[in-house]
Amino acid sequence: MKFTSIGIKALDEHLGGGVSKGSTVLVMGTPGSGTEFFAKQFASAGDEAVTYFTSTERDEDILGVMREYGWKTDLSIVNIGTKYYENVLAKKLEISRFRQEGITLSDIRRFEEKDMHREENFLTFLSYEISKLEPPFRVVINSLDFFLENYDSAEVLMAMRTIKAHTQHSESVTLMTMLKGVHDSRIQSSIEDLSDVILELDREKVGHEYKKYMIVQKVRNRPVMVGIVPCSFDETGIRPS
Amino acid sequence: MAKRSGERARCVTGIEGFDTVLYGGIPRSNTVLLTGSCGTGKTSLALEFLIHGATKGENSLFVSVTENSDKMLANIIPYNFFTDDLVESGKLVFVDLPVMYERLGMTKAELSMEEIDLLVTAIASLARELGTKRLVIDSITSVCYKLKTSEKIRDFVLKLSKALTDIDCTSILVSEVAAQSDSYSMFGVEEAISDGIVLMANMERRGDLLRTLQVIKMRGTMHSRAKYVLDLTPEGVLLVPLLKGGSTRA
Repeated sequence: MKFTSIGIKALDEHLGGGVSKGSTVLVMGTPGSGTEFFAKQFASAGDEAVTYFTSTERDEDILGVMREYGWKTDLSIVNIGTKYYENVLAKKLEISRFRQEGITLSDIRRFEEKDMHREENFLTFLSYEISKLEPPFRVVINSLDFFLENYDSAEVLMAMRTIKAHTQHSESVTLMTMLKGVHDSRIQSSIEDLSDVILELDREKVGHEYKKYMIVQKVRNRPVMVGIVPCSFDETGIRPS
Repeated sequence: MAKRSGERARCVTGIEGFDTVLYGGIPRSNTVLLTGSCGTGKTSLALEFLIHGATKGENSLFVSVTENSDKMLANIIPYNFFTDDLVESGKLVFVDLPVMYERLGMTKAELSMEEIDLLVTAIASLARELGTKRLVIDSITSVCYKLKTSEKIRDFVLKLSKALTDIDCTSILVSEVAAQSDSYSMFGVEEAISDGIVLMANMERRGDLLRTLQVIKMRGTMHSRAKYVLDLTPEGVLLVPLLKGGSTRA
């Protein structure tokens, strides 16, 4: 079995050497549980070329966090959030202005063919960008929630299956993050089903503090590895305690 | 009760024969449905109405729905009385409604009631900004395809004509009907709520295809209800009474 690192040494050991090449990893958690943080630690590991797709963060924020923890920042960031802003949200803002204030002749004259509203399909964009990557690659999709909010769930599932198959055949590794308990349970189950490894970040209030856990929910064909790993966050990142 | 002010002020169309048919022109601020099947000369007549207006110093606005207005502009050059100066000086303005749809984010196939209000407000505020006295929408039928239900069409046409009347703007709404239709509008609603209906048609007579024009209804004036033959010439539209003799059944 050929393994690649998940970014946390002790977790790699727990998993018997890391995740097997070709795996699709799902990291779930409630807001604030550290899934985004985990994604960055994952992005700094391994020897594959890293591509980080983000729908919520600015490039400098991603790099800033990674530098702060002294992680390798040798990665290319594809900022879907920025594209979404430019393509959709900025246009929505403009539309609300026109709706509120009316349109003047100069607004009409300023209109050019390029302003034609052709909403880009970011799901297609994601699949396409991943299909172009030179294997072996290490992909982070932060987060699936963006796609599930904006597109039909059947479409998202189809795209994720494609990405998973591509990851598998090219012996690469893909990690995606998803909020827990936000989406319809059928969708969540389907996403869980296609994932090879599922990690859940959880916490429990004990006295005046949180006890944090990484729950290994699923390792395909390795049910023995399923379990709970207590962990803590320190200056090096997430570490099992 | 409002006092009858007698004869209503007229918007003299400037179209040879048409003003005579209308006893002096379209009553000012009326919204007129200009209806007919394709190739009957609706757009030409509507354009001429605007060009004459602009020439006389009345600001005119052409709202193009189906055709790109640049293309439209290229097609009106043959008129002897049209000069580019009318467009350059802003007396005659061409606007593409699809651009307004885009600006207002109306990209869905069907407009909501709220969007209808927004669209009416946007057209009216544009007409106000430009000081428009004559307005043409070519065609209202294409707008109706985006409205779908007769309630929405009714709502749109009523609100639009109200808004245009408020700014004393005389309007022509071009309406397309199928050649063999016995209705004056595609959706059957537009005709019931406009102030006037002018029907244009093709008529075959002794092997010639004639264009005809007939004023079916016009609020605020008396008018002839006879059918006229229409000739499109570089001098503009010419109307002559249809000679009743001959072998036609018309």
